[in-house]
Amino acid sequence: MSKFTLSRRTMLRGAVGTSLAALGLPLLEAMMNSHGTALAGGQPLPVRFLSWFFGNGVRLDQWVPSAALAGNNPDGDQPKFETGLFQGDAWQLSEELAPLAEVKEYLSVLSGFYNKAGQQNRRGHHDGAAGCLSGIPFIALDSGNANYASKFGGPTLDQVIVNRLQAQGVNTYLPSLHVGVSKRITTGEGPSLHHIAHKGPDEPIASVLSPQDVYDQLFGNFVPQDDPSGALRTAMLDAVAEDAKRLKQRVGKADQLRLDAHIDSVAQLRQQIAALPPTCTKPGSPTQTNEDTDGKEPLEEVAHVMADLVTLAYSCDLTRVATWQQSGSVGGTVYWMTGATTEEHGLSHEPGGQDLIHAAVVFNMTCFAYLLENLKNTQEGDSTLLDNSAITLVSDAAQGITHSNFDMPFVVAGKGGGKLKSDLHHRSANDRNSANNTSDILLSVLQCFDESATEVGADEGYSNTPLASIKA
Amino acid sequence: MRRLLARQYLNAIGDLLGPEAKAAATAPADQPLNGFDMIGAAQLNVGDVGVVEYEKSARAAASAAVDDGSRIDDYLTCTPSGPTDEACLDTFVRNFGRLAFRRTLADDEAADIVAVGVAAGEAYSSFDQALQYAVATALESPSFVYQVEVGESLPGDPTVRKLTSNELATRMSFFLIDSTPSADLLDMAESGTLDSAEGLRAAAESLVARPEAAQAVAAMYDEILGLRALPTITKSGELYPEFSPALAASMRQETLSLLSDVVFTRDADFTELFTSNHTFVDAGLASLYGVTAPPAGEWHEVTFPADQPRSGFFGQASFLSTQAHIELTSPTLRGKFVRERLLCQSINPPPNDVITEFPDDEGLKTMRERLQVHQENPSCAGCHSLTDPIGLSFENFDSIGRHRLTENDVTIDASGELDDQGNFADGAELADLLVNDPNFTDCLVRNVYRASLGHLETDGEEVVVEHLVGGFDDGGRRLRAFLVELVVSDAFRFVGAEQ
Repeated sequence: MSKFTLSRRTMLRGAVGTSLAALGLPLLEAMMNSHGTALAGGQPLPVRFLSWFFGNGVRLDQWVPSAALAGNNPDGDQPKFETGLFQGDAWQLSEELAPLAEVKEYLSVLSGFYNKAGQQNRRGHHDGAAGCLSGIPFIALDSGNANYASKFGGPTLDQVIVNRLQAQGVNTYLPSLHVGVSKRITTGEGPSLHHIAHKGPDEPIASVLSPQDVYDQLFGNFVPQDDPSGALRTAMLDAVAEDAKRLKQRVGKADQLRLDAHIDSVAQLRQQIAALPPTCTKPGSPTQTNEDTDGKEPLEEVAHVMADLVTLAYSCDLTRVATWQQSGSVGGTVYWMTGATTEEHGLSHEPGGQDLIHAAVVFNMTCFAYLLENLKNTQEGDSTLLDNSAITLVSDAAQGITHSNFDMPFVVAGKGGGKLKSDLHHRSANDRNSANNTSDILLSVLQCFDESATEVGADEGYSNTPLASIKA
Repeated sequence: MRRLLARQYLNAIGDLLGPEAKAAATAPADQPLNGFDMIGAAQLNVGDVGVVEYEKSARAAASAAVDDGSRIDDYLTCTPSGPTDEACLDTFVRNFGRLAFRRTLADDEAADIVAVGVAAGEAYSSFDQALQYAVATALESPSFVYQVEVGESLPGDPTVRKLTSNELATRMSFFLIDSTPSADLLDMAESGTLDSAEGLRAAAESLVARPEAAQAVAAMYDEILGLRALPTITKSGELYPEFSPALAASMRQETLSLLSDVVFTRDADFTELFTSNHTFVDAGLASLYGVTAPPAGEWHEVTFPADQPRSGFFGQASFLSTQAHIELTSPTLRGKFVRERLLCQSINPPPNDVITEFPDDEGLKTMRERLQVHQENPSCAGCHSLTDPIGLSFENFDSIGRHRLTENDVTIDASGELDDQGNFADGAELADLLVNDPNFTDCLVRNVYRASLGHLETDGEEVVVEHLVGGFDDGGRRLRAFLVELVVSDAFRFVGAEQ
C-alpha cells in the first residue's frame, strides 16, 4: 500500500478552471521544519521534473540569445553565434525567448549542443525526439515495403527519473503524469513521432489531451475507506494478474514480457486504489475542454488549464514527474492565433513560411512561461515550486526546415532544489564536432534526482560527463 | 498475442452483453506500427493508462449489463439461492467465461472469478453485485483483452504450429466481423466442423454474409485509405469557404459507400473502387462535383461529370483533400500515398540538413513548373521522380477536390508516365494503368494481410502471399471471395512457433 508523502492537514482550495494563475497553496507546510527549508524529518523538499516538448524546432537566428557572428547568413542552415558562458546581465532573452522575461533568473538556455544520439539512425524528427528526450538512438522498424516506422531505443529521461525515485522508495500516487495540448499529432510513423514519453521501446506513454481526463487521473480513483468497492476492485485486479500469470506459461518470450508489463500496470492501479486520499481538498472539475471551435484548437486555454493541473499535482505531491507535449513531432498544429492557415510541419519546410514558424515558437514560449510563472507563484515554505523543479524544454529538430541535429533548442528551467545554476546562456560551439552532447544536459538534470547517477543514454548518445556550467 | 483493437473490444462487449453494455464501455486507443493498428496491437504493451481504461470500462459495462439484465439471463442457467450462491455463480461464470474467453474455463480460472463475485455478493448482500463483479473481472482479464494464438505442435515440424479450433474461430470472427465468435461458431469449432476445408470455408462464407462484415471491411479501408484523417484536416477558409467538418465527414462517407457498393452490394472487381465513374453524394458533395444534388440529408448515386477526369477513389474529395495542403495541392503527398499505400513501395524522407528551397519566381505559374526543381536536383530526384509524376496527374483537382482546368491562368498539364506501365494524359488514365500494375494487386493483398494478421510478411510467408495474389487475380479480383480465401489459407490457420 502506498502512502502519500504529503501532510494530511494540507488543504488545497479553489477550483480548476481556465484561469487559476495563483492558487496560493500552503503546500507541505505541516511537514516542514520551522524554517520552511526542508521536511520536518530532515529530508530535503522534493524536486519535480517536467519535460516540455514542442515539435518542428525554432528559427535559430531568432532563438539563440548571443550575438550573431559577422558574415552570418541568417537564413542559412547553421547560423553562427558568439560562444561561451553568459550569466546574469551578460545575457538577454532573444526574440523567441522574450515571453519568458518574468522567469529569466530561472533559465539556463543551452545552445550549440549536438544531439549525438541522432547521428546513429538518421531520419528527421525521429532522431531529434529520441536523442533529446532519451539520449538513445531510436530503433528503425524494418518496414519492408510497408510504411516507415520507428520506436524509441530506451526509456525517456522522465521514466529514468521515475525508476530512480522508486529505487529511493519514493512512490507517489502517480509515478508520472503526461499531458498534451495540441491534438494534431502524427501517428502514422510509429511511437517515436507519436509520443514523448516511453518506458522502453515497446511501451510508449500517451499524453492525455483532455483536461477532464487529467483531472480524473489525479483525483478520480480515490476510494473512501468505508466503501467496499475499494477492496473488491483490488480483488478483481488480483484475479486479473493471476490470469496474466497463467497465460505467461503458455506463450513465447516476447509475449511473456508484454504480460509482465501488463501485470506491472495492474499493480500500479491496485496501489492507487489502495492509497489514502490526498490531503489536498479535491478541487472542482475543469470546465475547459480540448474541443475545436470552427477547426481551431483552444491551444492557449488548454495550456493554461494543464499548467494549473500540473501545478496541483506537484503541490499535492501526487506525482513528481511529468511530461508536456505542446505539439507533436512533425505535428500538424495550426497556430491560427499567429495568422497561420497551414499546418506547422508543412509550413516549416516552406522558406516563405518561416515568419509564421517564428510566431508559433513565440506563442509556444508564452504557454511555457505561463507554466513556469505558475510554479514560481506557488510557495513551498521559503521556496517556490519552481525553485524545487528541474524542467527541460526540447524539440525534435533544431530548425524544422533542415531537420538538423546540431544546435538543438534546449532550455533547463528551475533551480532543481538548489542543484542547478540558472540565469545563464551557454553556447557550446558553432560546429557539431566540437559541441557538447545534448545528453550531458540530461545527465545534469538526472543528478538533481539522484546524485549517484553517473551516466545517461546509450551508443552514440551515451554521456558520463554532466554539464558543469548548469550544476550548482 | 494481439490486443483486441478498440472497435473489436467494443463490438465484443456488445455481442456478449448487449447494446447498453457496449455504450457504457470505453476502449484504450489503438497505436499503429508500420501503418497498421493491428501490428501495434501485436507488439506494444498495454501501459498504465490502458489498464486503467480497461478497469473503468469493465466496471461500467458490467454494471450496465446487469441493470439491463436481458443478456445476463442467457448465461444464468440456475436460480440463485441467495447473494452468495457460489454454485450458481460458478455456473454463470463458466457459461459467460466460455464466450468471453472464447474457450472453456479451467477450474482455477473459474474459481478466481467466482471468488471475487462471492465477495461482492457478501459485501452488498446482492447476487446482482456478485454477477456484476464477476463479469467485470472477466472483461478486464488478459484472456478477454488479448487474442491468444498459441496453437498445437505438428508432428515433424517444430517451426510451425496449427491454431486450435477455438483459436481459429476467434481469429476468423475478429477478422471478418470485428467481433467475438458467437456461441454457434464456438460450438462448430469444438465439434470439429472447422477442421475440414469445406467446414471452414462454409463458416467463413456465412460470416462474410453478415452485415457486420461490411462494417469490418469499412473499418479496414478507413485505415488503409487514410480516411481517418478527415475529421482533423483543416483548409483555408478564404480559398475554400465550402469546406467544413461536415463536408469532410461526407467525403469519408462517400468513399466508404463506394467501397460497400463494390464489395458487398455488387460483389464486383475490387479495382472498381479506383476506376468507377459512379460515386455517391449528398448535397454538399454534389455541389463540389457539379452534379445533381439529392434532397437535404439524403444520398444518391451519380455519375462523375464526363468532362472531369475523375476515377473512383482517385477522383473523390477524400483522397484529394487528405493528400493536400491547407491552401495548395501536394503532388508529392498524393504520389507518396499512391506509392506507399497502394503499391507498397517505401519512400525515403527528404535528406537531413538540406533546405527544400523552392524557386521564388513569379514566372512559375503551375505546380508542375514549381516542382521541376525536384527533378533537376539529384539529391531530390531519387524520390521525387517516384512521387511527383503520379501526383501531378491529379492537378486538375485542387486542395479540396474541386475540378479546375487552369492554375494562375495557365492550362494544367496532367500527363505523365508510370514506371514501365505506359503514358497517361490525366488522373483517370493513370488509374487504369495503376490497377493493372501487378504491384497494385500484390499490395492490396499485403495490406489486408497486415491489417488482419498484425505483422509484416516474413520471408517464409511470401509463397502464401504470391498464392493469394494469384487467386485474387484469377477470381476476378473480388474482395469478398478473397477474404474467405485468406481464412482458409495456411497463413491464417497456422502460426510460427513461439520463441
